[in-house]
Amino acid sequence: MSQDTQNAGVGSGAHDADAVPGSAPLGSGAVGMDRILKRETHSSRAVVSVIAAALVMAVCAYALLETAVRATGQPPWLVDPQTAAERVVALPAGIGPLLLVVTGAVIAMVGLFFFLNAVLPGRRARHLLPDRRAAVVVDDEVIAAALARRARLAANVTQEQVMVVVSRNRVLVSVRPTSGVPLRPDAVLDAVRRELQDMGPWPMPEARIQVSTAGVVGA
Amino acid sequence: MNNTPRVLNRILIGLLGITLLAIGVLLVLLATVPAVGVWWHEWAGGILNFWLDLFERTQFPSRQGSWLWLVICFVLVVVLGLMVAWIAQQGKGRTSLLVAEEDPGDAPGNVSIGHGVAEQTLRAALADRPDLAGVTVAAYEIKGEPSLRIRVEPRQGVAPHALAAEVSSLVEALDAVIGKRTPVLIHIGSGARSRFGRAERVR
Repeated sequence: MSQDTQNAGVGSGAHDADAVPGSAPLGSGAVGMDRILKRETHSSRAVVSVIAAALVMAVCAYALLETAVRATGQPPWLVDPQTAAERVVALPAGIGPLLLVVTGAVIAMVGLFFFLNAVLPGRRARHLLPDRRAAVVVDDEVIAAALARRARLAANVTQEQVMVVVSRNRVLVSVRPTSGVPLRPDAVLDAVRRELQDMGPWPMPEARIQVSTAGVVGA
Repeated sequence: MNNTPRVLNRILIGLLGITLLAIGVLLVLLATVPAVGVWWHEWAGGILNFWLDLFERTQFPSRQGSWLWLVICFVLVVVLGLMVAWIAQQGKGRTSLLVAEEDPGDAPGNVSIGHGVAEQTLRAALADRPDLAGVTVAAYEIKGEPSLRIRVEPRQGVAPHALAAEVSSLVEALDAVIGKRTPVLIHIGSGARSRFGRAERVR
């Protein structure tokens, strides 16, 4: 595949022939495509990074202010660095134990937030679709909307009576039938499954249906 | 798809997280377990004495005060600079050129095609479709090779595979115009406009 990327465009009309890689796997077409897909389906943690950097910068800026004031021999703004260090060393004393516990718990929670963000895989709610030319990434919300439309047509109910939740490996279709109108869950599920087969998302989720026992009146 | 340094992000966020977690746990332990307090006085007191001693030995020769404060100031400024650099790394990697190659023909020189060509043509082709709420096209540089990212926001209920096939055929037409196959990513996403806008009823 790397070859046809490089060769294409050299010939005047030849690229049309090798522009079709045939039955290529998902997201084919170029050298960096695997990398692009990996990056598109996982969070980059850019926002968390900016928050972390801002936090460190705020602490450093305050420390810089107090240190600079101390270095030039001026009176401190809030607390002299040396006094602060002495207070930290004397810690259980000088502050209420409850306040200390709460402060510690809050700091630990913030730390846990950053730590989990760094360690967890950070998958985004997205699926890949097969395509012969481009790599296609779809938000799960879009898949859910399409399946909901399909289920709505199959069940012959209004838009508000169908809810579809798409997760990585599961699609859950919940339908609230109209009161007095029978609903065949198998037919709806079949329609949703067929739509999913046509779509062919990767990883392929498994569809389930849930028909609520209480109906909607006057829909 | 951009060149955000993901491994670096993970490492730095992880380091900050572990540090904060350790500080928090230490504070809680200090308040609840007396034995930790004894150990802390001993350990942290030793470190403080070491630093005080260091400040004593680094006095200016002429006047009162230690020049170590200036060193600490400098270190803090460096850390601040590094943090700004880290923020600046996020989300970079946009490029303005789609193709930049030497012309193999008779005339000497290079051929370069800006990303605006792809953007304008694709936007124009998708502009009057009622089932789309928005289209964005951007070019990124992946491992030195320009690639296109087409973000399409369909209205609620549009089948993504049909949309992908149509956009993909437009991309193939673009290939024929430009004469080069660039890697293309089609992102079918949902935003505020597609979420709160009206559903697509008729197609």
